[in-house]
Amino acid sequence: MGALIAARLHERRRSLLSWGLPIGIWSAFVVAIYPTVEDALSKAIASYPEALKQAFGIAELNSVEQYLNAEMLSLIVPLAVGYLAVRSVAAGLSGAAESGRLDVLLSAPLSRRRLVACGFAATAVELAAILAVGLLLTALGSLLAGAGLSFTKALAGFANVWPLALLFAASGILVTGWSLRTSVVTGSVAGVLVAMYVADLIGRLDTGLDWVRYGSVFRYYGRAIEEGIDPLSFFGITAVAVACVALGALLFERRDLAA
Amino acid sequence: MAAIETRGLTKFYGAARGIEDVTMTVEPGEVFGFLGPNGAGKTTTIRTLLDLLHPTRGSARVFGLDSRRDSVAIRARLGNLPGDFGYGKDATGREALALLARLRGVADLGRAEQLADRFRADLERPLGQLSRGNRQKVGLILAVFHRPELLIFDEPTSGLDPLMQEEFLALVREERERGCAVFLSSHELDEVERVCDRVGIIRGGRLIAVERVSELLGRAQRRVSVEFAEPVDPVELGIVPGVADLSAENGRVRFHFGGAPDALLAALAAHRVAEIEIAHPTLEEIFLTYYEGKEEP
Repeated sequence: MGALIAARLHERRRSLLSWGLPIGIWSAFVVAIYPTVEDALSKAIASYPEALKQAFGIAELNSVEQYLNAEMLSLIVPLAVGYLAVRSVAAGLSGAAESGRLDVLLSAPLSRRRLVACGFAATAVELAAILAVGLLLTALGSLLAGAGLSFTKALAGFANVWPLALLFAASGILVTGWSLRTSVVTGSVAGVLVAMYVADLIGRLDTGLDWVRYGSVFRYYGRAIEEGIDPLSFFGITAVAVACVALGALLFERRDLAA
Repeated sequence: MAAIETRGLTKFYGAARGIEDVTMTVEPGEVFGFLGPNGAGKTTTIRTLLDLLHPTRGSARVFGLDSRRDSVAIRARLGNLPGDFGYGKDATGREALALLARLRGVADLGRAEQLADRFRADLERPLGQLSRGNRQKVGLILAVFHRPELLIFDEPTSGLDPLMQEEFLALVREERERGCAVFLSSHELDEVERVCDRVGIIRGGRLIAVERVSELLGRAQRRVSVEFAEPVDPVELGIVPGVADLSAENGRVRFHFGGAPDALLAALAAHRVAEIEIAHPTLEEIFLTYYEGKEEP
């Protein structure tokens, strides 16, 4: 398994730069400008409707952590990293099928389940590395600008994205049990990702529709940078992701792999 | 124990027939050619053996093991070169080789390096930068470097230049001498004729013939063209047993002959023969008679 995981990580090494760097630089910029915009922001927020502020998590923006959450960790980072997650697993399965690589790998004494598990494990490591790059650059930006970002809180905020992204990676694996076209895998899961975010937003905007949030993973995502990681949500989402991978591996094992 | 044994192997894609009732064996130390027109079921058969496709019914056993249940154990002992080999754009041949070697538990890559020299394969450049033929060489090395007991080749010389095609045929002969079974699907009938012991011909998803190449060629009718020094009534030759498709034009008589040579020689010796040509049919010509079968099997 180690060889396969290492090979996948080697193939995906560029994502540290192409995804980790932009996320990190953008986050660093956000925290760096906070001291400058702090007062003006407070005045602007005060005039927003309460429901809107609750829905977007900007009821209070009295700290750099809350600002970072509102600007990055509540929307941009989870959506971006969630999308990256499904692209990563798709490259290892449907992408491999399309390039012919899957035929070569499966000519070796390698079970399909092991192939899926290794791909998921490699993606999990890749996502953690990208979030780590984002966190470190954010912390550096705060340090240079004197924004006073708590590293521990920022760590909680970035780490909390990981199980959510894993769930979308697992969803990608589940879809490959049905389709080996990369466009179908990434498109369908990206659609679910956006739909879940919108469902959660609608539920928060209209309390009468709060029930739709139960179908969205974002309901359980929380605000870890402010409130700390909720272990139940963190490990619960991770467990659901692992269960989806197990089911996806079973489906992948049973399906035909046409030329 | 047969290297490959299929019994009634059938694969339907919904209502469309891929293959049906394919029954055949391939023995160790044998080179088995698998021939058929496009869409006949060659790749379906191969992918079913490799557990990439699941059969609708029937069975396939490789090394006596079930092709589905024991798929991983089987693949530890075989090498496969898929039709139109691909591995993605960015990885190099060496990276692919390193991974395959680790998956197969092969520590010594000496043979792989020898094969790379022999086939002049570039293992250092990303596969996406290589021509089709050079990619094919890398695929060939990945299939054979670990000395498998069974080699499955799907269009193996596609994209290779004539020199490398000769090297490939030499390699196949060496593998046969080593006791390896080779299952070769190819449209290059010349090389099938030169290297295969037996051929199976598949058409419309059904295996319509399995023959030894030597017997196939030996039984086939020769093309005979005779020019006589004086006018000869073609009927004299038409009554010789084994003569078929007789035609005469401008003093030259042409026919197909599949009978005993003595009767023909006796008929020819009755006249002065100015010129005679006897051509053995190629496997391609024989093959086309199977391809052109008008009825669906």
